[in-house]
Amino acid sequence: MKHALTFLVLVLLFVLPVVVLVLVSLAPEWRFPDVWPENFSFRGLTYLARHKKQILTSLSSSLLFSLLTVLTTLVMCLFPASVFARNQFPGKALLEGLLLTPALVPPMTFAMGLHFLFIKFSLADTLVGVVLILAMFSYPYMFRSLVAGFQVMGEGYGICAKNLGASPLSVLLQVELPLLMPAVIAGGSVVFLVAFSEYFLVFLIGGGSVASFTGTLIPLLNSSNRSLAAILTLIFLFLPIVLFLIIDMALVRVYRKKGMVVS
Amino acid sequence: MSWTSKHFLGLSPLILPYLVLFCGGVFLTFCQSFGVLTPLPYGGGALDAYVKLMGDPSFFASFFFSLGVAAVSALFSVLAGTFLAYRVWQLPRQLATAALVYKIPLILPHISVAFVILVFWSPSGILASMAHSLGFIQTLQQFPNVLYSGWGIGMILAYTLKGIPFAMLLVMALLVRFDIRQVQTAAMLGASGLRIFFTIVLPRLAPAMHTGFIILFLYSFGAFDIPYILSESRPGMLSIHVYNLYFKHDLARRPEAMAILVIMFCFALVFIIAYSKIVNHLDNGVRKL
Amino acid sequence: MTKKCIFLIALWAILVLPGPALAKDSDDLLLDTPFRQIQEQAHDTQVRWYMFGGWAHVNDWVDTYVAGEMKKQYNIDLIRVPMDAGVFINKLLNEKAAGKKIGNIDLLWINGENFKNAKEAGLLFGPFAQKLFNVKKYVDPKSMAHDFGYPVEGYEVPYGRAQFVFEYDKASVSTPPKNMDGLKEWIHSNPGLFTYPQPPDFTGSAFIRQVFYAVTGGHEQYLSGWDPDLFAQKAPLLWDWLNKIEPFLWQKGQTYPKDSAVLDTLFSRGEVAMGMSYHPSHAQNKIIEGSYPKSARTFVLADGSIYNTHFTAIPFNAPNKTGAMVLADFLISVEAQLSKYNPDKWGDFPALDLARLNSEESKKFQAVDLGPATLGSDILTPVAVPEIPSEYLEALEQGWKENVLDK
Repeated sequence: MKHALTFLVLVLLFVLPVVVLVLVSLAPEWRFPDVWPENFSFRGLTYLARHKKQILTSLSSSLLFSLLTVLTTLVMCLFPASVFARNQFPGKALLEGLLLTPALVPPMTFAMGLHFLFIKFSLADTLVGVVLILAMFSYPYMFRSLVAGFQVMGEGYGICAKNLGASPLSVLLQVELPLLMPAVIAGGSVVFLVAFSEYFLVFLIGGGSVASFTGTLIPLLNSSNRSLAAILTLIFLFLPIVLFLIIDMALVRVYRKKGMVVS
Repeated sequence: MSWTSKHFLGLSPLILPYLVLFCGGVFLTFCQSFGVLTPLPYGGGALDAYVKLMGDPSFFASFFFSLGVAAVSALFSVLAGTFLAYRVWQLPRQLATAALVYKIPLILPHISVAFVILVFWSPSGILASMAHSLGFIQTLQQFPNVLYSGWGIGMILAYTLKGIPFAMLLVMALLVRFDIRQVQTAAMLGASGLRIFFTIVLPRLAPAMHTGFIILFLYSFGAFDIPYILSESRPGMLSIHVYNLYFKHDLARRPEAMAILVIMFCFALVFIIAYSKIVNHLDNGVRKL
Repeated sequence: MTKKCIFLIALWAILVLPGPALAKDSDDLLLDTPFRQIQEQAHDTQVRWYMFGGWAHVNDWVDTYVAGEMKKQYNIDLIRVPMDAGVFINKLLNEKAAGKKIGNIDLLWINGENFKNAKEAGLLFGPFAQKLFNVKKYVDPKSMAHDFGYPVEGYEVPYGRAQFVFEYDKASVSTPPKNMDGLKEWIHSNPGLFTYPQPPDFTGSAFIRQVFYAVTGGHEQYLSGWDPDLFAQKAPLLWDWLNKIEPFLWQKGQTYPKDSAVLDTLFSRGEVAMGMSYHPSHAQNKIIEGSYPKSARTFVLADGSIYNTHFTAIPFNAPNKTGAMVLADFLISVEAQLSKYNPDKWGDFPALDLARLNSEESKKFQAVDLGPATLGSDILTPVAVPEIPSEYLEALEQGWKENVLDK
C-alpha cells in the first residue's frame, strides 16, 4: 500500500530522532557498536535536578522574551497590515517586498552593524534590546499572516460597526482583532518559535546578561554530557507543543462563549 | 488611490522601526566596512577591507562553499518536501492527523537538529552501530566520513531535516485549496500517478516551491546556528568566518567582518531580484490552465 | 537674577564638567580605601563573574561552593556568566569605545594574551592586587609579576596553575610516547587516532606552542621578548612538522575539532586514542564524571610541558568593584584553593606559595588525593617550561591558519 511507504518515510525522518533523543537522555554513554544502549543511567536527570534553578531561569527568560517579541510584532504590524490589505497606493508591491526583506537577508548583516549602536544607547545586554532585534527579523511572518487575515475578513464587519457609531480604534480593537485571532495565532506561533529557538542574536545583543534556553543548551551539544543535551532538546520540543495546545483550547473556549464560529 | 496622511500614520508603527533598526543597521554595517564609525579609530583606507578580502582565497572558498551547501539543502528540501506533502495530502482522514509528526523539526531549534545529525551520523553514532551489526563495518574508523568530509554533508543533512517540513507546510497550504476532483478525473481518463503529479499538481504548487526555495536558500547561506555545531575546519561557512573576525580577533579587523556581511547582504538582494524575475519570465511563457 | 544665573552655572560646572574625571577619582578613592572597609561595603551586593563556560565541573564548583561561601560569608549573590575570554574582551572594547561607564561585568577569568590586550586597551581596573589580604599573605610576588612574559603590575590576581598534559587510555595504548619525536612516530603508525583542537582554541593553541618549543630548540630563546626575525626564522619548522603529520590525523586532517570539548567527546567515545588538556587533573575529572574510561591516564613529553598561571581581573566599568575584589580575594584564600585542588571538585593546582602555609594548612594540601590519572608534581615540575610572550602566541595562531589550515 502506497500509504505505508509514506508513513515509513514520515516515521523515519521525524519520529525516529525523537525516540533516539529519549534513549540518549537515559543512556549518556551509548556509543558504537551498540545499536541499543547497554547501560541506562539517570545521570542526565540528576544533573537536571541539581541545576533546575539555572535551567528554569533560562527557560523563563526565553519564554518571556519570545512572548514579548510576539506582542511587539503584533503592535508593529496590526495597523500597517490593515492599511496594506485594504488600500492601493503607488509603490505598494515594492514597499511590501522591502518590508519582507528582514526575514530573507542573513540577520547578521544588520544585527552586527546595530550592535555598536545598541551599546551606545544602553540597549545592549537588556531584555528590551533582545526583544527589539528579534522583532526586527521575525515581524514579516506576523505581517504576512495579518495581511492575509484582513483580506479574508473583509471590510464588512468594520463598516457595519462604524455605521453603528463605533470609533475607528474601537472598530479595530473590539470588532476586527477578535476576528483576526486565527491569523494572529498563526503569525504569532511562527514568531514565537523563531524567537524561542534563536541563539546567535540573543547571544550578540544580550551579551550574557539576558539568559536564554538556547544559550544553556549550546555548550552541552559538543560536550560528552549528551544526555543533558538530549533532555533539554526534548523540553524544547514539548514546551511549544504544550503551549500551542493550551492556546488552542483557550481559543476554542473563548469562541464558543462568544458564539462565534471557529474558522 | 494615492498616498494619504492616513496611510503614513497607519504604516508608521512598522516603517519607523524598519528604518531605524533594519535600514539603520544595514547602513552601519556598510559604514563600518569602510572603516567609518568603528569602535576604535580605523587607520586604514576606506576600501582596505574589501581589497584584503578579494585577495584572500579562503574567503572565496567559504563563499562558494556556503552557496553550495545552501543550494543543495534548499533544493533537496523543496523537492522532497513537495513530494512528501503530496503523498500526505492523499492520505485518508484517519491517518492525516498522525502525519502531523512532520511538524516536529519545525519546532526544534536549529542547534538541536544539528545535534540530532551528530548523534546519528558521527563515526561513533547510531548509524555506524547499525552498519556494524549488519556486518558492513568492523571498526568505527570504517564508517564513511559523512560529517567531516569537507563537503558540508552534515550541515546539508541538518538544513534538509529542518527544511523538508518547512517546504511541506508551504506546499500543504496550496494543496488544501486544490480540488482533488481534478486529480481523480485525470486518473479516470487514464493518466498515471506520475503524469498527474508532474503535469497537473506541480505547476499549481510552483509558487510555494519558489517561495520555499528562496527562503531556505538564503537562510542556509547566512545562518549561524547549524554551522556553529557542524561546521568543518575548511572550507568553513561564511557566517562562522564573520563570527571569528568579529569576536576572536582584535577590533582592527572589524571592517573585514563588516565587508563580508555587506557582500552577503548584496548577494541576497541580487538573488531575490534575479530569481523573482526569472520565475516571472518562465511563468509568462507557460500557458495558464 | 544674575546671582541666580551664576549660581546655576556654577552648579552645572561642578556637576557636569568633572564627569569623566570623577570616574577616575572614584577608582583612586577605592584604591586608597583599606581592604577591611571594602569588605564591609561589599556585603549584600551582587557580583557578576564572566568566565569560560565549557567545563561543567568548573561551573559546578563555582555555582555551588564559591557561590555558597560568598553568600555565607558576605551575603553576596554570585552570578556566573559563561563567555569566552576573547568574546568578553571584545565586549569591553566595544563598551569602552561607546563610552559606557557602567557595564555589567564585575570579575573576569583571564590570562595570557587576553590580559595583555585588555590591559593595553585600558580595559582593566587596578592596580588592586596588593590590597587583598590573601595576596599579601600567601602569594609569592615573583609568581604574579608576569603573565606570558607581560608585566601584571597588580592588575590581576592569581587564581590557579595549569600545566599541559596529554591523555591516553592505558587499556589501548600500552606505552605512551616519551618525547615529541616519539609522538610523531606514534601518529604515523596509528593513523586517524590523533588530533588537536583548531587554534585559536585555548588547548589547541597550547598544543602548537608545545610543538614549537620542541622542534625549534627550546623555550629560552623566546623569553626575552618578541623578535619578528627569530619568529620568521623558526616558525617554518613548526609548520613543516604539523603539515607532515596532517595526513595521519583524525579524518586525515581535513577537519579539526572545533574546540577542546569536541576533542574530549572524541576521546571519550573512542574516535581518537589521545586527548590533551591544559589542566593536569582534567582526565581524572572526566573519569569521576563518567565520560572517560577508568583506565584513562596522562603523560608529559620530555621536551617540556608548558605551565602557566591563570588569574582574575576587574574591568574598568565594573558596577561592583568592591564585591569583585572581595571575590578575587576569596578565590586565592586557603579554603578556596584547597577546595579547588580536590579532584572531586576541579583539581586545579593552587596558585598559592606553598612555602607560606603553616604546617596544618600544608598537611591538608599534601593529603589531597589527586587520583590515578593525574601526575604528581614530582613528574610535572621537572619538565615545566614557562609560557611564551603573547606576541608569539598571536603570530602562531595566525600563522597556523595561513600555513597549516589554508594549505
